[in-house]
Amino acid sequence: MINPHPGLPELEYVKPASLSEACKFLAEHDGAAKPFSGGTDCFVRLRDGVMKLDYLVDIKGLDGTNELTFDAKKGLTIGAAVTMNQVARNKDVIKHYPNLVQAANSVASYQLRNRATVIGNICNASPAGDTIGTCLVLDGVLNVTGTEGKRTIPLSSFFLAPGRTVLKAGEVVTSITLPPPPAGMVGVYKKLGRNIISDLSIVGVAVMGYPYSKSPSGYAFRIALASVAPVPMEALKAEAILSEKKITAESIAEAAEAAMNAVTPIDDVRGSARYRKQMVRNLTREALTEVWATLNK
Amino acid sequence: MANAKSKEKNPTVVGASVPRNDVLEKVTGSATYLDDIQFGNNLLYARAVRSPHPHALIKRIDTSKAEKFPGVKAVVTGKDFPERIGLYLKDKTIFATDRVRFLGEPVAAVAAVSEEIAQKACTLVEVEYEPLEGVFDAEYGASDKAPLLHPDLGKYECVNFIFPKAGTNISNHFKIRKGNVEAAWKECAFIVDKTYKIPHIQHVPIEPHGAVAMMDQKGKVTLWASSQSPFAQRNLVAKALHISHSDLRVIAPLVGGGFGSKAGLTMEAIPVALATKLPGVPIKFILTREEEFYTNFVRQGLTIHVKVGCDKDGNLLALKNTMYWDGGASTEYGTNITRAGGYSSSGPYDIPNVETDSICVYTNHPIGGAYRGFGMSELHTGIDQAIDELAEKSGIERVKFLKQNAIAEGDIVVTGMTMHANGIQQCIDNVAKAIEFTKKEKPSTPDRLRGKGIAIMWKAPAMPPNPGSSAWVELSEDGKATVGLGGQEIGQGTFTVMAQIAAEALGVKYEDVRIAGPVDTQYSPYEWQTVASRLTWSMGNAVRLAALDARKQILDVVAEAWHETPEDLDIVNGMVVSYKSEQETPLANLVIYGLPKPNDEGWMGGPIVGRGSFMPKYVTNLDPETGQGPRAVVHYTVGCEGLDIEIEKSTGKIHVIRAGASFDVGKAINPALVKAQVEGGFVQGLSSALFEEIRLRNGVMTNPSFVDYRIATSADTAFPLDTTYVEVPQDDGPWGARGVGEHPMVPTIAALGNAIYDATGIRLDGPPFSAEKIFLAMLDAGKVE
Repeated sequence: MINPHPGLPELEYVKPASLSEACKFLAEHDGAAKPFSGGTDCFVRLRDGVMKLDYLVDIKGLDGTNELTFDAKKGLTIGAAVTMNQVARNKDVIKHYPNLVQAANSVASYQLRNRATVIGNICNASPAGDTIGTCLVLDGVLNVTGTEGKRTIPLSSFFLAPGRTVLKAGEVVTSITLPPPPAGMVGVYKKLGRNIISDLSIVGVAVMGYPYSKSPSGYAFRIALASVAPVPMEALKAEAILSEKKITAESIAEAAEAAMNAVTPIDDVRGSARYRKQMVRNLTREALTEVWATLNK
Repeated sequence: MANAKSKEKNPTVVGASVPRNDVLEKVTGSATYLDDIQFGNNLLYARAVRSPHPHALIKRIDTSKAEKFPGVKAVVTGKDFPERIGLYLKDKTIFATDRVRFLGEPVAAVAAVSEEIAQKACTLVEVEYEPLEGVFDAEYGASDKAPLLHPDLGKYECVNFIFPKAGTNISNHFKIRKGNVEAAWKECAFIVDKTYKIPHIQHVPIEPHGAVAMMDQKGKVTLWASSQSPFAQRNLVAKALHISHSDLRVIAPLVGGGFGSKAGLTMEAIPVALATKLPGVPIKFILTREEEFYTNFVRQGLTIHVKVGCDKDGNLLALKNTMYWDGGASTEYGTNITRAGGYSSSGPYDIPNVETDSICVYTNHPIGGAYRGFGMSELHTGIDQAIDELAEKSGIERVKFLKQNAIAEGDIVVTGMTMHANGIQQCIDNVAKAIEFTKKEKPSTPDRLRGKGIAIMWKAPAMPPNPGSSAWVELSEDGKATVGLGGQEIGQGTFTVMAQIAAEALGVKYEDVRIAGPVDTQYSPYEWQTVASRLTWSMGNAVRLAALDARKQILDVVAEAWHETPEDLDIVNGMVVSYKSEQETPLANLVIYGLPKPNDEGWMGGPIVGRGSFMPKYVTNLDPETGQGPRAVVHYTVGCEGLDIEIEKSTGKIHVIRAGASFDVGKAINPALVKAQVEGGFVQGLSSALFEEIRLRNGVMTNPSFVDYRIATSADTAFPLDTTYVEVPQDDGPWGARGVGEHPMVPTIAALGNAIYDATGIRLDGPPFSAEKIFLAMLDAGKVE
């Protein structure tokens, strides 16, 4: 990256007329073509030479990609071309998924969020993706179209490694469906960046809690962590502690400790593994305390 | 109505917060910057081939494939331009010739019909390198173990106040030997001995560097550049290319941020080099943001060892200050930063015994150049933190300690010069009051720690002894004035301040003064460089003299016409008035066509053009062994900053509650602009204290973009900042003014470091004071779990 391109490298912009045409093209040019919507990740990576492509396939406007609808039974569907700002200012999202609004608003800057999409954030498959954790704890399901037809993929089984997902050649994620939030749900997203806005996460913690009569504690908590493992992950042991034990400052601290012990962060230019582990514990504790305080009101 | 004599003492335009005269075009986006200028269809685009190694020999360069590539018009390499250039030490060439000394150093350049083709052709230039062992630490570089980076250092030309040591990597060693430091330690009751490291940082102007060059068929070169230094660039390019200064024209449109990075000559030489091969064709070169990071001037890294002691009453007795500046691959500019660090090495403290070694070292890092503060932020980061610890050791309250030791009028400063009148005591009081420094306060929540820090500073304009300024003031048929000047508007508001000075001195309204821009060396009067916080003072003097000269010409004509003496006349709001005869006439009536003599006997006067020039004549060189001499600098601007902060125990994150910054500006020509400068400088200082660092690993920058090179945003700086200023007049400044452009970022790192110490008891060895560093230090010290 000594002498990066002054602009984007030469590549073909492809605007398919239909989703099936897009899938066909992507299948035929596997490895050389990628779908894109906002371009906020791939343009940067292409310019830096980290990503090399011959074709960018614009999926904006194709079947279902502009959908942003809420249904009390089905939940929320966010199309692949729906921007972060569209999500964050949608009345239903604000009402039913305030934690998603918080997560979306933590991404980059307002200007970037006019282009950036939630689906793009997910498909980029960065462990630092700020909206992924909240979609994970809400049990999001991806709606995927490929040359063979449609299928759904639970978000929890979508990621393989940094930048790698289970998508097959020619498959396009057209939207994500978040089931209706559990009754009484309280959720937060805690992001630690180097400065107040527009940074990537050193650590991100998405926590959701709700009354749940089937667990001994009477509550269920979900905890997802960003930037601390090769893929976005859930702190399952921490969740189990809060399911089994009475919710107190002590059990919250124990869960936070368990979250810390579950992560495998790396040292990078944004933060050391040591700091990240500490921050997983501290931010998880803070997030749980905050959620618990609201649940208890 | 004021009379002519009292007018200078009771200014009305000078001292008023008039709106900036460039505000409308800047906020509406119509202001013209380099990349906005249209050059037509002939325009070619340049890109550079750059070294992928921090240190290597160049074995072979083959440009033949690039030359044949369709669309390529010229390819140049170092063999075409072997002349050494540099501002203070001629140690670099436009392109590397036999070896590369930093990653990103230009090796060749291509001009082509598009940027893309030029870039593609760059990849076709074959360069064979033989990598060499590098020097990535200044102290190591200064030792005899390090490989030599400039074996020919002894042969390089330099100014007579720079002292390179041939056969070493030391390109300047500035020494102070004042009093007897060794003897003084014995008298010290308290001593602090500390080492601090200050990393390299980048200027990151919004507008990247850009330049367009064209040579005409007669060999005359025109350079359009985003520049702080059109005249210095004319000088450096003329010498490098062996062309006459008069055959080189530099046109400098408005600048989208400089901070020192657009002073001297850097990437502008590349399109000029290409232009010499393609007469009649303009060639444009604009850096990418990554090139800004990799290849442009950086603020040098510094390792500073400070040993300072005081007696039992807290009076400073001795200082030993050893500074190793990481100058990078070329120190053509950095040698003078080392000198500035040396002659100011005591900070604004009265210390009788001082031993300083300020050492500039070649390394295989990016080239150090001017950066707002010119060595002072780095120096004060060391000095002011050590003094803070010494004050604590002595048991004397900080503010008292600072006031007791601060430099005062008549004190003999570290170079032997006598200090002039200054308002540092009042600056300290202002800041202490703004943050209620002596009041110990609780944090807003138990999850946080609270602390307050304070630091003082001084800075002199760092420049050769005799940098000149010149100006003209001419009037047009409408009676309005136009000021010709060569100093550059880089956002600081100098065009506004110069219009105020001209309006005041001449006697016209501020709104009736225009600035003749853009600066163009073919038409604009000479100005050394827009650096060193020197324009308000130096160019201000030249503009004032030019306006007074025009005023005298006008009053002489009117006096003759009205049979009065000029002393009875005045110019008020564009009207010439007589206090004696009570006659009046608008300037428009006479400044072009003159005045008729009575009875059709002819005419008097004619077009009015005033001229003024200013150059300090009293600065002397210093003894190379002792650093002593009658007058090292023109003057010092002094000031103080303080912060009241809270630190999150769970993350180490800093929250600034409030802050104070007070500087002695001599005279605030425009109080609103002073406030803006102080706010901007404070934010930049805070940004460097909290976030900024060029992370270098074996000569490779690992964070060359805004993703990982963080700078403060407005969200990070949403706290009250008190900017009450002090006005102790400068004897040779216009209306007593001296500069305050750089100073507000100088003491910020130290003030924050002192606040962090107050809050946590932790003293980090250098910025950036990131949340991570603070948290882990607190964790290791057992202060948090």
